[in-house]
Amino acid sequence: MAEIALENVSKSFGAVEVIKDISLQVGQGEFVVFLGPSGSGKSTLLRMIAGLETIDRGKLLIGGKECQNLVPGKRNVAMVFQNYALYPHMTVRDNMAFGLRNVGMKEADIAARVEDAGRILEMDALLDRRPSQLSGGQRQRVAIGRAIVKEPAAFLFDEPLSNLDAALRVRTRVELAQLHQRIAATMIYVTHDQTEAMTLADRIVILNDCRIEQIGTPMEVYTYPASRFVAGFVGNPGMNFLDADVSTSGKEASATLGDGSRVAMTISIPDDGAYELGIRPEAVHVTTGEGDTKGEATVVEHLGDRTLVYTRLGDGTSVIALDDGRSQVAPGDVVTLRFDTSQLHLFDSAGRAYHAD
Amino acid sequence: MTPDTTRRYNIAGGIITIITVIAALIWAFPIYWGIVSSFKLEDEVVRPYIELWPENPTLRHYWFALTQTQIGSWYLNSVVTALGVTVLTVSTSLLAGYALSQLRFPGRRPLWWLILASFMVPTQVLIINHFVLIANMGLLNTWAGIILPQLIHPVVIIVYKQFFDQVPREFREAAVMDNASEFRILTKVYIPMNWGVTTALSIVTFIWAWNAFLWPFLAVTRTEMMTITVGITQVSDAFGVYYARQLASAVLAGFPVALAYLLFQRRVTQAITLSAGIKG
Ligand SMILES: Nc1ncnc2c1ncn2[C@@H]1O[C@H](COP(=O)(O)OP(=O)(O)O)[C@@H](O)[C@H]1O
Ligand SMILES: [Mg+2]
Repeated sequence: MAEIALENVSKSFGAVEVIKDISLQVGQGEFVVFLGPSGSGKSTLLRMIAGLETIDRGKLLIGGKECQNLVPGKRNVAMVFQNYALYPHMTVRDNMAFGLRNVGMKEADIAARVEDAGRILEMDALLDRRPSQLSGGQRQRVAIGRAIVKEPAAFLFDEPLSNLDAALRVRTRVELAQLHQRIAATMIYVTHDQTEAMTLADRIVILNDCRIEQIGTPMEVYTYPASRFVAGFVGNPGMNFLDADVSTSGKEASATLGDGSRVAMTISIPDDGAYELGIRPEAVHVTTGEGDTKGEATVVEHLGDRTLVYTRLGDGTSVIALDDGRSQVAPGDVVTLRFDTSQLHLFDSAGRAYHAD
Repeated sequence: MTPDTTRRYNIAGGIITIITVIAALIWAFPIYWGIVSSFKLEDEVVRPYIELWPENPTLRHYWFALTQTQIGSWYLNSVVTALGVTVLTVSTSLLAGYALSQLRFPGRRPLWWLILASFMVPTQVLIINHFVLIANMGLLNTWAGIILPQLIHPVVIIVYKQFFDQVPREFREAAVMDNASEFRILTKVYIPMNWGVTTALSIVTFIWAWNAFLWPFLAVTRTEMMTITVGITQVSDAFGVYYARQLASAVLAGFPVALAYLLFQRRVTQAITLSAGIKG
C-alpha cells in the first residue's frame, strides 16, 4: 500500500498555478527524490504534503488517511529544513524533545526516545550542547534527530545538504543512505542536485515547470529519459545533443548530422524529419578504426580512470566523448568518434523521447 | 597613503576628539554642578561666583530630604508605577507585535497603520482627555490613574513586530510541524529567541516611566501619592526655594535610573538605537 499518495493535486499562488494536477504514489519505506531546477515546484509540492502550504484541489493520503485538510502537526510527517531551523536557545536534547512535549508525552518516554535518536545518529555526547556549539554537519544530524524522535510515517527533506561544504555533503549523503536502510522509513527528499538524486533515490520524480516530467528509478531515468528535459538534466557530464535529419524505412533509421555524417540505428518514430539526437558521453568512443564522424579535440580532461574529450564537429557542434584513462588524445587532434547506436535517443520538437533498440 | 596625508588625518582626528571631549564636558558639567551643589550649604550655593568644590561639605540636605519629606512614599509610588507601566506595556506590546507580525487576521493592515499613525500623536495632545477620563473614572490620586495613560507606547509594538518579522519563517514552520500551539510558539520560540529585545525594551520603558513628569504631575494632588519626579518639586516650604535641598532630592530621584544605566549600559544603548532607528 502506498504510504503517501497524491491524487490530482493543484496549487496556485494568486493567479499563478505552481502545481498542476500532480498524482504520485510513494511506497512504505521508499526513498523518493523530487528532482528539478530551481523554481520547478519541488519545495511547494513537499510543503503541500507537510501541510505548510494548502492544497487547492485534489487529495493527499498519508497511511491511507485523507490529510489534505489536516493541520501539519496532525499529518504524522516530520520535516528537515534546509537551514535546519534548530531553536538556538534550546539544547540539542530540548530541540528534539520539543515536538514530543507539545503533545504531552511523558518525560520518561521523551528521554528514552531522545537517547535512542542520539544513539542512531551517533551524537549521544552532544545532547547537552546548544546548536551554536555544533558544526554544520552536527546541526544537520540534530535536525534529522528532531524528526526521528517523532517516529513519523514519513520524513520530508528540503535540500538538506545544500548548506554543507562539498566534502561534508558527500559524507552526509552516505550517512543519509545508511540511515534510510537502518530505520527503513519512508522518505521524500527535495534537491536540485542530480548526483544526490541518483545516489539516494529508490525512485526519482523529475519536476520541470511545476509538472512531473518523469517518475522512475535512477537507472530508468538515466537510461530511458522520458523527455529532452530529463535527458539534459540527469547525468554529469550531460548528454550530447546534435541536430539530425532522420529518415526511416521500417525500424531502420538513418540520421544525417549537421556535418553531413550519417548514423544508422534501429528505432521507432512516428514521422521522418528533424529531430535532436541525444547520446551520453560514455556512448561516444574515440576510436582508431571505423567511426561515425570526426571531431577536433578542444579540451582533454584526465580524470584518472577515464578521460573526457571535448570535441567540435565540422559544423561546430560540441560533442563530449569518453576515452579510457590512458588516452593519448591531445587538444588540436582530429579524432574519429564512434557512437554506440543502441544508446541513441531522438527527441522531437515537443521534447518527447524515442529510444533506439 | 603618503606620510603627509596620514598626518593630516591624525590632526583631523585629534581635533574631532578634542571637540567631542569638550562637548562631553559641557554636557556633564550641569550634572557635576548639581551633585556638588547638593553637598554645599545653602548660602554657598547662592554665591555669585563659581566654586567647583564645596567649602564645607555637608549631608544635611540629604538628611532633610530623607527625613523631612515623604520621599519614601514617592520612591514606592515611582517604583510601583514605573514597574507597572513596564510590565503592562512590554507584555501587551509583545502580544500585539507578535499578532501583527505572525498571525493572519482580517484588519491586520489597518490595525498596523493605526498603530503607526498613533505614534505620530504626541502624548501632550491627549493629556487633557486623559485627565478628564481618569477623573471620571475616579482614578486621580491612584497608582492605576498614574499607570493607565502611560501604557501607550506604539514604538514598543513596532520594535517587537520588526524583530518577529526577522525571525526566519522556518522556525515557525518547524514548530507548527512539531504540533506547537500558537501560545507555545510565542512563549517557547519567539520570546526566548528575542530575549535581548525584551530586556532592552523593558529597561527603556522603565526609564521613560520613571522619568515621566507631566502626567503624574496632573494625575496626583495628594503629596503621599506623588511619584518621585513630582515629589521633589514639593521640597520647598513657605520661606521659598532652597536650591541645595532641591538638588539633593533630585540626585536621590535620579539615583535609581543612573544605577540602572550603569548596570545595563550596553542593553540601554542597544534599545535606544532600536527605537531611534524607527523614530528616525
Ligand atoms: N509563497 C509563494 N508565493 C508566491 N509564489 C511562490 C511562493 N512560493 C513559491 N512560489 C513560486 O512557485 C514556484 C515554485 O517554487 P518552489 O516550489 O519553491 O520551487 P523549487 O523548490 O523547485 O525551487 C516558483 O515559481 C516560485 O516563485
Ligand atoms: Mg526549493
